[in-house]
This record gives sequence, structure tokens and C-alpha cells, in this order.
Amino acid sequence: MVEFTDTECMICTAARLLEDRKTVFVGWGMPQLVAMLAERLYTPNLVQVFEFGAIGPQSLVPFVRGTMGGPTNVYRSLSWSNMNWAFAYAGTGYVDYGMIGAAQIDAYGNVNSTLLGGTYERPARRFPGSGGGNEVASLCWKTILVMKHEPRRFVERLDFMTSPGYLNGPGGREKAGLPRDTGPWRVVTSKALFGFDEETKRLALLGVLKGLSAGTVLEGMEFRPLVTERLEAIVPPTAEELRVLRQQIDPSGIVIRGEQMRAER
Amino acid sequence: METLLQGTAEIRFTHPDDFRDWVRQHKRREMVEKLLTEREAISRYVADGDYIAYDFSSLTRGPQALVREIIRQRRKDLWVCAEFTLHETALLVGGGCASRIDVGFLGYGSYIGRAVSEGRVRVFDWTNGALASRMLAGARGIPFMPVRNLLGTDTLRRSGARVVNDPFTGDPVCLVPALNPDVFLVHVHQADAFGNARIFGTNLFALEAAMAARKVIVSAEEMVDPLEFRKDPSRTTLPYFLVDAVVHLPFGAYPAGLQARYELDLEHIDKLNAIQAEEQMQGYLAEYVYGVEDHAEFLDEKVGWRRLQDLARRATIREGYH
Repeated sequence: MVEFTDTECMICTAARLLEDRKTVFVGWGMPQLVAMLAERLYTPNLVQVFEFGAIGPQSLVPFVRGTMGGPTNVYRSLSWSNMNWAFAYAGTGYVDYGMIGAAQIDAYGNVNSTLLGGTYERPARRFPGSGGGNEVASLCWKTILVMKHEPRRFVERLDFMTSPGYLNGPGGREKAGLPRDTGPWRVVTSKALFGFDEETKRLALLGVLKGLSAGTVLEGMEFRPLVTERLEAIVPPTAEELRVLRQQIDPSGIVIRGEQMRAER
Repeated sequence: METLLQGTAEIRFTHPDDFRDWVRQHKRREMVEKLLTEREAISRYVADGDYIAYDFSSLTRGPQALVREIIRQRRKDLWVCAEFTLHETALLVGGGCASRIDVGFLGYGSYIGRAVSEGRVRVFDWTNGALASRMLAGARGIPFMPVRNLLGTDTLRRSGARVVNDPFTGDPVCLVPALNPDVFLVHVHQADAFGNARIFGTNLFALEAAMAARKVIVSAEEMVDPLEFRKDPSRTTLPYFLVDAVVHLPFGAYPAGLQARYELDLEHIDKLNAIQAEEQMQGYLAEYVYGVEDHAEFLDEKVGWRRLQDLARRATIREGYH
């Protein structure tokens, strides 16, 4: 048995998805920890791009919570510039992957990070909004969404569409004027991994955390994602991953804390 | 060009010719000393109702001392360009200074979210990149910038952007209007008395915003001789004629850090992060903003030399920041 938090599980699963010798646009918060873990264990030549203009930093640990642009985050970058240039790299197609968080997601991978409930003027809950998420989801080739596994976050209709997935289905992005052949690629949660069906562009379950069933994982979602025939069993966080996360990246434990989970090795 | 879709947000927009007229009449080309105290600079250059923007972030090189002075002088009805702002917008709303916010990134913590839900401040949703593009258009003296994002989303519908068919590709493209803030605040590593300024490290849109803004207030960590800029011109971030006021404010980014000068003060930042209820906010402002005369008194009485020295000692990463 191994014990870990839902945050740790999500970070580890996402870190295994990144590809070495590629570029990735890293969003604020969890994606930063994913990239740091991947860089240390799996993808030492991954080039991280940040919206404030850091290209290819070799970030120092421990992670200073909340920061994205501080001296440890941007240590030994290849280039420092600013926001208009950072998004220009994505706009011209230099950025292979984008990685952002989400408060709510629908069947086409459209993302809400702006508000929940109420009206636009008087929302029940107001969040930070797009930040650079809309640019990342619009302009990078493949977008990875990282979120905690809460079924109520998977909704038929978003309270607000902050950043684009496949909009209303196949061809939706191109019709709206977004760059062609882009879009969400994977959705990583603390219990599951999703992709998108090529024909329908709808969310499809690809894997579940070892020991869980598709039924448990999907229960409570407002829509029913497609389920791939051969589901992958997601390996729970390894001892090595947890060591790097807990001892190097976040020794304070403040960022990686969360709901306790356990799984068979 | 036919407008296919138009966002609903109210926008602050200036005709490029009107901005040129402002520059012609108000921006001094002669090299004159512009050193002011923070009280003089804010009182002279920030008016009620102004649109304000700043660079860089709440945790790194933000113009925190200038923001506190705006709150201390109780400016009203400001429209804030919020980007990389975890705390400033919340403080400006808490101080009753801000009535409208263009979002980028609204800021985190429940205080600012609740202020929006309760209708105490109006927000208009954009994106970080869209606001940076708007600033670039403002800086180029052109009326808008075409961008290939926002498209298809509610963010676009709630912004002030428009969608048209691009005459070159025939595809839909999003146009974001130029932004010319009334005031741009920036904390820099080095400046001279004329306003030439250097930033080390990354930034959001320091040059764009300084060019796009009517009034630019620079707070400088360190004052340097003007000759330093001529000896190494590739490192100049802002040429003097963009700048209206220079305020010498050591530790001017505190509680944020300034790269290679001092680390951020996480303990103080946690005090800001902990603010949820109105009375906590008013308690914070009473103690750290209204309760002191100026930045020097704030550092003396609320932070202290030992703490500042310790933060400076911990800023050990120097590579690249010189």
C-alpha cells in the first residue's frame, strides 16, 4: 500500500505525460510543479515557456509557493523577455504542449476558471479568470488540463467558458478562427486520465488509478465520457516521485497537501 | 469590415491621434530632473477616475510602495488593469480606490472574489495576453491589435473585443482595442533622476505600458548616474522621456522580492493571503497603510532593519541581474 494526496497523484500522472526535447507552456500553480517533477525525473531536456517571458529555465527547488517569475522560477533560463513575446512563441507554433488548470470542464474539453453560479455580474463564486489560460488553450498544439478529481466539475454546460476546448465539436475551433490542428489532448485528474475521441472530439476515459473501476471514477459526472476498451491502469505515485516532490520540490508540504488516498503498488 | 461579434464590456479607449496630442503637449523632451517623494508623485500624477496599470507581480518587483501610497491618499473610482496581481487589486478595492477591474488575473483569495460577487467592484474579463496586446497597440499608436485567441469563448463575449473576417485570410480574427492607461506604475532596479530606467529580469509589458500611458511613475530601488545608461545602452528598459516622476524607494517592492536585491517576505505575504473578511482588510490597511506617513516610516516601524537585512541577505541568486 502506498499513501499519497490527491494533489500528489495528479502531479505525478501529469508529469509522466510530458515528452522530452519538446516545448511546453506552463500555467500558474499545479502545472509548475508537474513541470518541475518531470524535469527532474523524466524529461531533463523539456523546454518550459512561461507567460512572463522566461524560456527554458532550470528552476531551483524548493518551489516558492505562489511565485511564477521569481528568481528561483527563472533560474538559468535561455532567454528572458516579456508577455507579448512569450505568447508570440505559442502563436507561431513553437510550443508543443500547453498545461493549465481548470475549475470546470465540459465534454469537449472547454474550460471554466472564471466563476460558478449566479450571474456574470453577481457570481456565487468568482475565481481569478483566464490569466494566460485562454492563450495557452488557444495557441499551443496540444493542451493538457490538470484538475482534482471531483465529478461535479465535469458538467454538461459550463457556467462560463473561459478557455476553448473543441468548442461545440469537430471543426468548431477552426470555424471560430482558432489555429488549426490545436486543442485539448489530455485531462489529468487525481484518479483518471482522459483523452479526446478523434471523430467526435468528446472526452474519452483512457485510464483509471490502479484498483479503481471506470464506474467509480465516472460516477456523479453530468455527462458520460466515452470509455476506451482497453483502460490503462494508472500506476500510483512511485517512491521516487514522492521523494522528489516531498523532499525537493515542496518540503513544506503546503502545495502538495490534499485529500489522503491510498493504492496498491 | 463587418463585425461578426462584439463583446459587451465597457472599454477605456483613446483615439490614437488624441494620445499623440497628449504626448506632444505633456511629455517633456528636455532632460530635467523628475525626482519626487511618493506623496508628491501620487498626488500630482494619479487622479480620481484614472485607469492604472502596473508591472510586474505581487511577489516579484511589484510597485507595492506606490500602490500603498495611492490607498493612503484615498483615490477613488480607479479602473485597474489586473495582471499578475495576487494582492494589489484586493488592497485597492479594500481601500475603496477601485471601482472597475479589467481581468487578466483577478487576484486570489476569497476577499476579492467576494467583492465581485457582492457587486462592490465591476469586472470585465479579458486575458493576460489580450491585455498585453492592447498595451502593445497603445504603445504603437494604432487603434487595435488582431489576436488569434479569445475566439469562441465567453471571455470574448464579456470582453470589449470584436470579431471580424480578416481581409487577408478570410478567417475570423479577434481585434482587441488599444489600451492607453492614464497611469503606469513600475518599480525598477535602477533609474537616473531624468527617468532613464533599467529592469533586470523578465517583465509583463514594462516598455509597452510606459509608452502607452499618459503618466508614468517610476519607483527606483537604486539611483544611478545618467552616464551609466550611455555607457551600456542595450540595457536601458525605459528612456527618460516616457517617465514623468522618479521616486527613490529602496525596498519599494516589499513585501514582494526584487531579483538579486531582496527576497519576498512570505510571512507578510501570508498576512495578505489570510485576508477574507472586511474587518481583516480594514485592520490590515489601518496598520500598514493608513497608520504610517510614508514608505520610510512603513519600513522603520512595520518591517524593521533586521528583517530587511535578512531579506537582502537571502537574495543570493545574482546571475543575469546586472
